[in-house]
Amino acid sequence: MLEYQIFFDYAPILLIGFWLTIKIVVCAIALGIPLGLFLALGRRSNFVIISFLSTSFIELFRNTPFIIQVFLFYYVLPFYGLRLSAEYIGVLALAAFGSAYFAEIIRAGIDAVPKGQLDSARAIGMTDWQAMRNVILPQTLSIVIPPLTNQTLTLIKESAILSTITVHELTMTGLMVQGETFRPFEVFIMVALLYWALNETIATIMRKFEQNTKKNRKAGSIGNSSTTLKKSTSIK
Amino acid sequence: MTSNFLELKGLYKTFDNITALNNVSLNVSKGEVIFIIGPSGCGKSTLLRAVNWLTPPDKGEVWLEGNLVGSSSSKLTIKEAKLLNNLRAKMGMVFQQFNVWPHLNVLENVVRPQLVVAKRNKANAESKALKILDEVSLHNKIDEWPDHLSGGQKQRLAIARALAMDPILMLLDEPTSALDPELVGEVLIVLKRLVNNGMTMLIVTHELGFASEFGDRLLFMDGGEIIEEGSPKKILTMPKTKRLKMFLKKLDITSFKH
Ligand SMILES: Nc1ncnc2c1ncn2[C@@H]1O[C@H](COP(=O)(O)OP(=O)(O)O)[C@@H](O)[C@H]1O
Ligand SMILES: [Mg+2]
Repeated sequence: MLEYQIFFDYAPILLIGFWLTIKIVVCAIALGIPLGLFLALGRRSNFVIISFLSTSFIELFRNTPFIIQVFLFYYVLPFYGLRLSAEYIGVLALAAFGSAYFAEIIRAGIDAVPKGQLDSARAIGMTDWQAMRNVILPQTLSIVIPPLTNQTLTLIKESAILSTITVHELTMTGLMVQGETFRPFEVFIMVALLYWALNETIATIMRKFEQNTKKNRKAGSIGNSSTTLKKSTSIK
Repeated sequence: MTSNFLELKGLYKTFDNITALNNVSLNVSKGEVIFIIGPSGCGKSTLLRAVNWLTPPDKGEVWLEGNLVGSSSSKLTIKEAKLLNNLRAKMGMVFQQFNVWPHLNVLENVVRPQLVVAKRNKANAESKALKILDEVSLHNKIDEWPDHLSGGQKQRLAIARALAMDPILMLLDEPTSALDPELVGEVLIVLKRLVNNGMTMLIVTHELGFASEFGDRLLFMDGGEIIEEGSPKKILTMPKTKRLKMFLKKLDITSFKH
């Protein structure tokens, strides 16, 4: 039988953990998307060193387990004199992990913009960065919003792994409550519901946002190559 | 200025094993209108894209009004890269596929490069844009998205965008080739006005009537080389080489089919 009292007794403390999860993910995204953009541009750079470093970073973080990355951040950063609380380390690890995926999404978005767009921007006298900023990236935006959203949902779920380095986020709080109550079913149902509610809320908001950007400008205006990308990457 | 308004010196470019430009040199004087014809893949686009260094040649140099646009013999310094962007702004380029910017409306397409590249203030940029959009008969479309324009309107927008930078040279790569036949005329009207205003132009086209009426010079290219050049009427009526004769014959047959 379910013990409903547990839901009421432990909801407040779980919500505190939930709030920390939200804060960590928001910070990780706020860091991760600019870093991802930087890496995406770095990977396409003509400077061999920059493109090599960017590519290495992206591939490293995409091809190793997140939990190992978290351990490395947790044990290696202090070794180099960077003494941060577990929360901050968690944010950095999540941001680094996310940025590798954000970078690939942004790069695919940039590649989906027809080549003639860059030609016309360069031919009129724009620098590479001006062309990116004024012509390419704005067209990339509507292409990358769905996959960036999906990646954000993934980050929220992956943030549970930060419980392994004593970050008192939602999963960690759930583990503690279950240790106290020995009612894993009730506790983890609540934890699961909270993650689900957060993801569903974000997905809904972003779907609305996507529809609005489409309405503002005729869909498919990015060129044919991107419509296929768009279809395959709509928000789940 | 005399014959060295625009100077192309020994341009050479290969892609993999294909020679797109084979030692092309050309002097263009101010106000001259030069048409370029030749079979598909002969290097016409590559030549135009070499002029503004969009496709840097493997060998050769380009000079505009005594300024070095680009030289294959040295890598660009930061200062030269900046100069190159300034020179590019003076060379308006018009593409076969229009390449208007779909995320900006008609007015913004013409305003944005003025703000970003020419560093004009918004009021000046907008009044200039409105004036030029009026000249290409798009004044009643300024709030429209490019996707809602016809091909002919898109190409006129692309021309307006280039003209707003006050170019001293226009490079046009098959500006009417992607258009439905009934839309070619409205773009040619705009181009003819440019010719009459004394704009220096390099135009790749298959519109031979346009070329022979308005061209000061016609170049026939094949295999990355300029095979024949001279006054359009003379070249089109009395081709010297077998290759040009064949090319004109083919063009005649295809245009006859239309
Ligand atoms: N970016 C490129 N990569 C590889 N080959 C190219 C590229 N651009 C042009 N070429 C080749 O160079 C030759 C000349 O091309 P182009 O200048 O576009 O010809 P045209 O405009 O006369 O049709 C063609 O054989 C074409 O396939
Ligand atoms: Mg071409």
